[in-house]
Parts: sequence; structure tokens; C-alpha cells
Amino acid sequence: MSSRSIGLSEAVQHYMIANSLRETDLQRQLRDETAAALGGTASMQIAPEQGQFMALMARLIGARLALEIGTFTGYSALAVAQALPPDGRLIACDISADWTAIGRRYWAEAGVADRIELRLGNAVETLAALRTAPEAGRFDIAFIDADKTNYRRYFEDCLALVRTGGLIMIDNVLWGGSVADPADTGADTQAIRELNAALHRDDRIDLSLVPIGDGLTLARKR
Amino acid sequence: MFVPEALNAYMVQVGCREPEPLAALREETARLDQAHYQISPEEGQLLGFLLETIDARRTLDIGTFTGYSAMAAAMAMPEDGRVLAFDTSEEFTAIARRHWQAAGVADRIELRLGPALESLDRLIADGGAGRYDFAFIDADKERYDAYYERVLTLLRPGGLAAVDNTLWRGRVVDPGNHKVKTEAFRAFNSKLHGDQRITLAMLPVGDGVTLVRKRP
Repeated sequence: MSSRSIGLSEAVQHYMIANSLRETDLQRQLRDETAAALGGTASMQIAPEQGQFMALMARLIGARLALEIGTFTGYSALAVAQALPPDGRLIACDISADWTAIGRRYWAEAGVADRIELRLGNAVETLAALRTAPEAGRFDIAFIDADKTNYRRYFEDCLALVRTGGLIMIDNVLWGGSVADPADTGADTQAIRELNAALHRDDRIDLSLVPIGDGLTLARKR
Repeated sequence: MFVPEALNAYMVQVGCREPEPLAALREETARLDQAHYQISPEEGQLLGFLLETIDARRTLDIGTFTGYSAMAAAMAMPEDGRVLAFDTSEEFTAIARRHWQAAGVADRIELRLGPALESLDRLIADGGAGRYDFAFIDADKERYDAYYERVLTLLRPGGLAAVDNTLWRGRVVDPGNHKVKTEAFRAFNSKLHGDQRITLAMLPVGDGVTLVRKRP
């Protein structure tokens, strides 16, 4: 979520995009369509520079099997699927048929629809089913960007589902900066704070918190 | 540096895991006038994370200073991992050597004192092209493009470089700033953006870090 990187001045943000973003026409069209169709809800889309960084991470780890929790209109799935080899697979979880219908069109147009397998439904149940599926323990990367109060649970599922050395990326860990505001005791903010604190002391993973988008935590399964 | 202070403090609190030997090195370096040359602990942690992600074994550290990034790299690699470290300063690297020794990673780091461009050219002449997994560039700013070109030659296909200071304390966005180093960064950043030999990402970590992956 969040279409720009947090806390950066407008000028620095603009400079970074002008000097590093390489967004395809389709990606830009998808962002435009999401903004036009969904208005304020479009802020659930990741920042384009974050998509580019996630695609780079997918390439660096040589990902073939990927998992996404919270697909929305399919921008991050598009970015990551394009970084997978032709026989790569991305299992994408979301509850909304409407939002993901937008994504499906763009995945097809980009020629990556056959790499993306959409699982519509409650992600808690989808992940529980995956834990007993042949893919369990074989995912190279996972991306968590769904309902915040379930983040702890999604993280545990992902940790079980990725291979040793696999990468879990968690979005919105800075939650618009509200995590650093002690007066904010909303349920989402608290859930993210608790996850951040738990990850910090979790010795099952290596950790790096990257201030891109709304804050992206990288966790590597030891 | 580019994130508001309260939020940055939070990020360090929940994100930073600086091992004791690196903290000790940071403390000693902090007493130097040039302490700001040293990378932040979160940047060191990100570099280590990336090295583990690509399972690096052979890395280059261009602009070693008191040795923080080289030590972070050495600690992120298995025992047979090797860092080739380049710097011109006996004085600063003497501090580095002491801390590498104390951390038990001295045998994983080989220091080459002298102008880094000459050392890198020698490495290429000696058959080093395409043999390195990772490079960190953090030396004299006017020569970044020259270092970058050597690094691209030395990296294996799919190898990764991290280039430090690419936001240059925000000076790159100040239209009134036309100093040599600022202009050098502007030209360099713009070149990387259009360079089809690589994929890239620019991150607002530390003073700006650009990650560059050499396309296979």
C-alpha cells in the first residue's frame, strides 16, 4: 500500500523516481486505471519504486515459486511475475473478485497470466490449505500486504511456506508513520507495532527494514 | 537521513540488530573527524542481508575507511567468503584491521592499499572479470563512474553492486547546487537510469543507496 515512499520530501521522492524508476507502459496504465476506478482506495496499491525493488529482490534470489497475500488490483503481482522465469509461478491470494478482475486483464496483456494463479477467498483459509499442499516449504519469496490485524498469522504461515533461505517481504510496517506516534492506539497500528517488535527479536529470521513505500520489512528464513 | 527523526528512531528500534563487534567499531570511528564517512548500522544490515540473499562468496569493498562495510560483508558470508578491500589510507585501515582481527574475520578480508582504480585494473588484468558476486562502492565521489565501469566488468552475470551516497545529502535535488561532486552524482544517477546492462533500485537508506544488478 501507499503510492509514495514515506517521510521523504517531495523533491527527494521526485528525484529518486526520475532517476531510477523504469515502469512499463502497462504498469503505468494499471496504476492509472486503479486510481480512476477506485479513488481513495487506490492508495492500497504499492508505490511503483517498491514494485521495482521487489522485482529486483525476486531476481536476486532467483525466485521460481512466489506467494502473495493481498493482491488488490494486481500491481505487485505483475511486477514480481515479470521477474520470474517463464516456468515460474505466483500464487496470489485476495478476497475481492472485483479488484483482481482488473489485475487479471493486465496480467494477460503482459503475457504473465499463465504464471499467476489467483486464489479468491479468505487468505487465512487459503494459507492453511497451502500448508498441507505440495508447495509447502518450497516458496522462494512471499509478499504480505493484506488485513493488518492478521499480519502475525500471515507471517507464521509464510515462514512455514518458504524454503530455508527464502524471503518474506512485509508491507506497511511503518503504517504512514503512525507506529512512531504513541497516541495512535488503533487496532491496525497496534498489530503492526506488535509484529515489528516480534520480528526484531525473532531469531528464525535475518531482518532488514527498508524505508520504501510505506515501509517494507525483508525477512530471510534462516 | 531522509526519514523524519521520530520515525527513524522507531525504525532503528525495531529494525536494527547491530552485532557487538560492529558496534565497537562504530564507537571508535565516532571519535574521528571523518566519522560521517561510516555507513549507518541499518545500511550495513541491509548490505549483509543482500549478501545472504545472493549467497555471496567473493565481494569487493571500494573505499574501506575504518572497515565497517567490509566487516559487515565478511560477517554475512560463510567461512570461505572473501572480501577484497580497497583504500588509500594506512591510518584508517589500521583501525579496520584491529577490529577485523577482534571480530575473527581478518582472514576473510584482504586489504589492497593504494589508488583503487589501479588495483581494480590490475584485478581485471589478472583474470578477475566476471568472478565477483558483490561490490560496494563508497570512495571518492568524482571517480564513481570509473569504479562502476570496473565493477560491472568484475561482477558475474546476475551479480550485485551497492553504490553509496547517491542522494548526496539531498544536494542532488538542490537546483542551486552546481558543485563538482553534486554534478558528478547527477550525471552518474542519470547514466545508471538509462543503462540497459543493469536492473536497478534506488533506496532512501543512509545517504541514498542504489542497487545495481548486472543482467545475465
